[in-house]
Amino acid sequence: MSDLERDPLEVKVDEWMQQFARIDDRPRTLPDPSTLWVRAKLMQSAVAAERANRPITNAQIGAYLIVAAGWAAVLMWKWQALAAWLRSFTPAHIVLGAAGAEAAASLSISLVLVLIVLASVTVMLAFYTVLAEE
Amino acid sequence: MTAEATVPRLPFALRTATARRAPKRPMDEAKFEIFYRKTAGRIWTYIYRMTGNAATADDLLQKTFFRFLRTRPEIANDDHLRHYVFKTATNLVFDHFREERRHRIDALDAVPEAAFRPQHSELRHDMMRTFAELKPQERALLWLAHVEGCSHDEIADALGVQSKSVRVMLFRARRHLGDLLTRKGLAP
Repeated sequence: MSDLERDPLEVKVDEWMQQFARIDDRPRTLPDPSTLWVRAKLMQSAVAAERANRPITNAQIGAYLIVAAGWAAVLMWKWQALAAWLRSFTPAHIVLGAAGAEAAASLSISLVLVLIVLASVTVMLAFYTVLAEE
Repeated sequence: MTAEATVPRLPFALRTATARRAPKRPMDEAKFEIFYRKTAGRIWTYIYRMTGNAATADDLLQKTFFRFLRTRPEIANDDHLRHYVFKTATNLVFDHFREERRHRIDALDAVPEAAFRPQHSELRHDMMRTFAELKPQERALLWLAHVEGCSHDEIADALGVQSKSVRVMLFRARRHLGDLLTRKGLAP
């Protein structure tokens, strides 16, 4: 289509845009393509590593939740026994003697085992978190 | 001369279909460098004219190519890749404007600051200022249509609008720019 057949507005705008486009204001140096390539590859590696670590991170979060739920369950169901046991360590009970020993004896073996297991798992998880972050 | 160079410019839909059928191979560093040297300057100019800020243009140019490389481009058709890069750049420019608006900075005000730099001639300043008075979408439309020679389909794809709307949008953008040129006495 020749300029005569085109809409005069289109011709005017086209001429102006061509003139505008001819202004050279590019920087003397554009970023180096090799640098861009290397940085893009590094970013891809970081994304791939993050993707590979995602199952481990999810398992870690799951472990935190299970341990927290375990502690919450034990504290809720056995709170009275635990409170009595903890009270046995107060100075008043120690001074009075035998009362503390009775309270301590009231903790069942299974509860003590559960407490030991939960405490061990909590400590292991804490160590793992600290070491993984380092 | 490559086989691609002898093929006449096809309509966008056909070109896309051809690109899909063409044998694809992953882009290596050497191919990327060739493609980058061919397109980076044009992309930088496009972003600079859209934003009016050289530092922003540098930043968005890098982001554009990072995003391009993240998609693990395959060499099928240079036109197709070039179009993809323009589309990515357009999205990033619009994201940039949205971000600026969120920070309560008028993006258009940034243009005269850049244009007032001493090395800019008066004509360049007037042109930059006039172009900056258009809406971002109008700027993108006019640049892609008149400078890059994109088809309506390509423009629609780059701007995320319907293809049939482009004709009307382009007409409005031309009329807006025409009015500005007449008012400022800048018409060629």
